[in-house]
Amino acid sequence: MSKHSALNTFGRSGNPAFTRNFENTEVFSQSERMTLDGAVNKTAILLALCFAGAFAGWNVPALAMPGLIIGTILAFVTIFRSPAKAGSTAPFYAAFEGMALGGITVFAEMQYPGIGIQAIGLTFGILASLLFCYKSGIIKPTENFRLMIFSATMGIALLYLVSFIMSFFGSGIGFIHSNGLFGIGFSLFVVCIAALNLVLDFDFIEEGAERGLPKYMEWYGAFSLMVTLVWLYIEILRLLMKLRSR
Amino acid sequence: MNTVIFGILTILSLFIFMNLGKIKASKKQMDRDDRIKWGGKRRPNFQQNRNGSKIIEGSAEEVSDEAKK
Repeated sequence: MSKHSALNTFGRSGNPAFTRNFENTEVFSQSERMTLDGAVNKTAILLALCFAGAFAGWNVPALAMPGLIIGTILAFVTIFRSPAKAGSTAPFYAAFEGMALGGITVFAEMQYPGIGIQAIGLTFGILASLLFCYKSGIIKPTENFRLMIFSATMGIALLYLVSFIMSFFGSGIGFIHSNGLFGIGFSLFVVCIAALNLVLDFDFIEEGAERGLPKYMEWYGAFSLMVTLVWLYIEILRLLMKLRSR
Repeated sequence: MNTVIFGILTILSLFIFMNLGKIKASKKQMDRDDRIKWGGKRRPNFQQNRNGSKIIEGSAEEVSDEAKK
């Protein structure tokens, strides 16, 4: 029996944002091919735009909600409609998400001063340490690893969705938002899953550069890294807020 | 003090990302049989195609008109 029986049964699933874009069979010239340098530089551009958006959101917190809604729409458009146009949608995504993060951070800072810089430091600290672990081969992403992370990510997304819908009816899944041991444990688990998603992003970019995918995939790789970083930052902020409120 | 420590951590981490991200992953990471097959079946990259052609020289047969019939 195959080692990957689940994959054989349910098909080679995984992040839809990733799998569809590797099916291009064209061969591109050197200057038209995805490179590691390009992907890293484009991630730096998106981070700079995110910080600029966060500055605006910090000063005008009312921008947080429109930023979150527009950013989410742009993320879905980039993933499902036009990955080839990630170069034009990803910068706007980064700027609008930055506005949302700036507003959320102001709210958190009012309650717990100094929490914003802690969350930023921990997010980038995790990014750098996991990049080192990936590059040196300490963490080896395999098909089973991807299946596990993808399942956990979808499970968390479903739990958040159910909790969000239930909140309209005056109830919710209380334990995931509580500052008790279970709530903190859940937040820790979500932070771990978000962090391990970074490993999948690194592998996606590395293989894209190795295979010589088209240049626009640099933007797409940078975009996928940004999506994970934004999620990781929010989850670390939530975890720190739970810890500080005890 | 809190701001200084986490500020330094942020700058240092970004510096590491900008430098380490541009370096190719180790052979231990890349030369594995159980790597993730993004998008399905792995195919050799462009550089391999250009350097190691799959054409076998000298083994082609000439097809005559009679053979076609």
